[in-house]
Amino acid sequence: MILEAVKYLAYVLIFPGFLFCFLTGLLLSGIDRKLVARMQKRVGPPILQPFYDFFKLCGKETIIPAAANRTVFLMAPLVGLAGLVVLQLFIPVFSFTAFSSVADVIVILYLLLIPALSIMIGGGATGSPYAGVGLSREMVTVLSCELPLVLVLLAVCKKVGAATGTGLCFSLTEIVRYQMANGSLLGKLSMIPAAVAFLMVIPGETGSHPFDAAEAETEICEGMLAEYSGAPLGVYKLSHSVKILSMTSLFVMLFLGGIGGGIQNLVLALGLAGGAAGALTILLDVIVLFLLCVILTAVAISFVHAVTARLKIEQIFKYYWTVVSALALVSLVLAWYGL
Amino acid sequence: MNMLSLQHFPIYSIMVLFLGAFLIVIFGQNKVFRHTVALLATFASFFFMAMLFKPVMLEGQTIAYWLGNRVPAGGYAIGIALEVDALSLFFGLLVSCVVFVACIYSIQYMSHDDNVPQYYTLFLMLAGGVMGLVLSGDLFNMFIMVEILTFAAVALTAFRNTANGALEAAFKYLVVGCIGSTCILAGTIVLYAQVHTLNLAQMSALIPGNLSSATKLAFALLFIGFCTKAFLVPFHPLAADAHGAAPASISVLISGVLTKSGIYGLIRLSYFLFQSMALGTMQFWLVFLGSVSMFVCVTMALAQHDFKRLLAFHSISQIGYVLASVGLCTAFGISAGLYHAMNHTLFKGLLFLAAGAVLHETGTTDLGKLGGLSKKMPHTTVLFLVGAFSISGIPPFNGFASKWMIYQATYQRAVETGNIGFLLVTICALVTSTLTLASFVKVTQSVFFGQLPKEYENVKEVPFGMRLAMGILAAMCLVTGLLPNMVTRYLTEPAARAVFSVVDYINNMMGSGYAQSAMAAQPLNPDVSFASAGVWSPVSWLCLLMIALLAVTIVAIAGKYDRVSIKTPENRSGKYDLFYGGEETVYSQVGGDDLFWGFKHNWRHYFSFMHELHSGVVNDYALWAVVALALAIVYALIVL
Repeated sequence: MILEAVKYLAYVLIFPGFLFCFLTGLLLSGIDRKLVARMQKRVGPPILQPFYDFFKLCGKETIIPAAANRTVFLMAPLVGLAGLVVLQLFIPVFSFTAFSSVADVIVILYLLLIPALSIMIGGGATGSPYAGVGLSREMVTVLSCELPLVLVLLAVCKKVGAATGTGLCFSLTEIVRYQMANGSLLGKLSMIPAAVAFLMVIPGETGSHPFDAAEAETEICEGMLAEYSGAPLGVYKLSHSVKILSMTSLFVMLFLGGIGGGIQNLVLALGLAGGAAGALTILLDVIVLFLLCVILTAVAISFVHAVTARLKIEQIFKYYWTVVSALALVSLVLAWYGL
Repeated sequence: MNMLSLQHFPIYSIMVLFLGAFLIVIFGQNKVFRHTVALLATFASFFFMAMLFKPVMLEGQTIAYWLGNRVPAGGYAIGIALEVDALSLFFGLLVSCVVFVACIYSIQYMSHDDNVPQYYTLFLMLAGGVMGLVLSGDLFNMFIMVEILTFAAVALTAFRNTANGALEAAFKYLVVGCIGSTCILAGTIVLYAQVHTLNLAQMSALIPGNLSSATKLAFALLFIGFCTKAFLVPFHPLAADAHGAAPASISVLISGVLTKSGIYGLIRLSYFLFQSMALGTMQFWLVFLGSVSMFVCVTMALAQHDFKRLLAFHSISQIGYVLASVGLCTAFGISAGLYHAMNHTLFKGLLFLAAGAVLHETGTTDLGKLGGLSKKMPHTTVLFLVGAFSISGIPPFNGFASKWMIYQATYQRAVETGNIGFLLVTICALVTSTLTLASFVKVTQSVFFGQLPKEYENVKEVPFGMRLAMGILAAMCLVTGLLPNMVTRYLTEPAARAVFSVVDYINNMMGSGYAQSAMAAQPLNPDVSFASAGVWSPVSWLCLLMIALLAVTIVAIAGKYDRVSIKTPENRSGKYDLFYGGEETVYSQVGGDDLFWGFKHNWRHYFSFMHELHSGVVNDYALWAVVALALAIVYALIVL
């Protein structure tokens, strides 16, 4: 009983929870900044720069605006971060899932809203007009990403459900297990448009260029973050980085889960057994997941960031509800007719 | 408690409400007396319903009550009957519970109005009408109750008749509501002429084997009649006007209770009387109507600039979810739909009460004029946010639990039947949910966040009684969201099972064996399974969230998260003011109906089309009703 409790606590606090999110999230964001800089022929900050930034912000004074509600202002960033960390617990790491019987794909879709909501409430409650504009844009961005995301998830559910004979599969663990046995979904022709659509959703969900209208520093002073300073601001920046991890690892599990099967075969080929094999599998899973996340960050976020300029909010909406949704819809229709 | 006294409980729970209404007419001038009577009557009604919970929900009994003990003789049910199966009890519990909470709220909310005794009389008449409707076992009595509740609702809509638009709203409601009531009466007459009985159970046995053009016509008439009561598209503009004008406590009843009576009527009509749901075309009809209502009304809500009108449109949008899910004709779908109906009553009640609290303190519900109230009314803000999260389906509140079931149910149905239409319903439901969130973010930003206008600087928090009523509903939103398994096991699954046991319903009323002998074909009796593909356990999720939150909070506090931020009046300098980019601090509220212009800009053609369509002229709405009736008749004649 106590052992169980310690195990679950370790899941939440260390892996794949808090500590893991903290390290990989900030690392991914550091790599992203470096890559963008190199693509633009700049030297760029060191890869560990987000860590320095985070700790520097933690040492700074926190100014609570007189107009803001103290509790809401300070708690909102923490709730958002906690929501993201908990979300990460439901995303499998190939063969390993911390909690597989708590939430399915649809729940994850809605848990993704919690960080956005927390930032809207935290910023909006200060009464700053910049936050008001930021809130409006953030909500429209969320709305934009929702339709393609829904279509992609339904397409994957249908595809895996049809292949496993259950008709429907909402469990992310099951989706990964199916891919480990039958190869990645990215290898299936009908799922490629959905994968591309999901790649396009990643920058929108994480609020990076060119979809960062909600936080446009140069026009609305980071919108909802305008009044934040010190450690709470640091926590928001951290959440932002963790969201990159969440979205990229979600992509890996939805479309590249087959790689986990390869890892298992590799460990089997090494002839290990028992605890050693299990430990090695998890270690390899984590390393491979991280490398894939780095590649995805480079492709979906850094590259797009380096070559585009910020879109207006109505352009963002139009782009997601036409181009990206159409791609996802193609996949859904193909999956529907069993292709 | 023996069976004999239990039998009387349904009639008691209707009677106390009417009795209370009559007592208040006579002795209502005394303030203490009328409050006591109103509270006692509504509580007693709830109590009698709750006492039936064990025999009906847990033991699966059906309680039949014949007024004056006129039991059926010679195979004909002539007497007036009440029949309480799990479906009726589900709605009965819901109605009586919300009526009680609304009554608590009314006491302080209505304290500044004139003619308060009349208010309570009408309030109790409305509640009694709905209770009578859901417990009745007789089609003509259902019509009587529809009349009572419609006229009580019309009168209550115009209760604040000095307010702008109240009389106009009541008039529109009266006209279209009467078209609906007339349809129900006409349908009842036609059915009576065909099967020579008015008892629901007997009709359920006789009609399916006796489908003629006349009964099909009656179906269409009754269908449209109950649609008007539920304000489904194309009757939605009435709801907006009525909610905008009515006192908040009445809005709670109209949205939480009256629309449910329409849904109840539709279920009884299509699953019991006609048993037509085995037809794919009937399922299509309900699901299509539900999806259209869900989507059209959420977009209409996004364009509103009045708090209560916005809520009114959302109310129909959520009823659309309920209807779409109920129309799937699967046990899981009905269970999900009823769960959402219950949740809708709770969270929409809460939201209307919050809107009422804002109106009570500021005197307006115009989103363009309000702002920054969270500093003045912190409790109302938190309670409103609970309601807003619930309706937008944010875990772990109740709206999420039921919507999640609806997504599963529609998608499951799509896969089972291979019909891509159901898949579109899933997508529509998911997108509607996000649009709902958007419009509640708009309300939050426009009313509670942002900057406080000068004229509201002296606004205070609402009195305790009003907060109590909101608190009860907010707590129920959270509890029903956290314990979805309990709710489905004890409330919605028995009700869904009742929907599929028409034979038991008939036999209980008419004597066992009646259904088998009278019915030509055995009614649909599918295997009732509540299995679903998804997993969601809110309690575990909440535990995990709490652990994570605790962990980050401890780290934050240990790391002096809010160091040197001493907020005292002496310390106030420019540093603690809002940032304005070096400009002088000016009043600049971001909010109102154009908050999401980035979204609305892309949909401008749609919105201007809708704007032209909703002319606000009652002639147009009456015309829509007639057109809808004509379409329904044609459809019923073709497909049924």
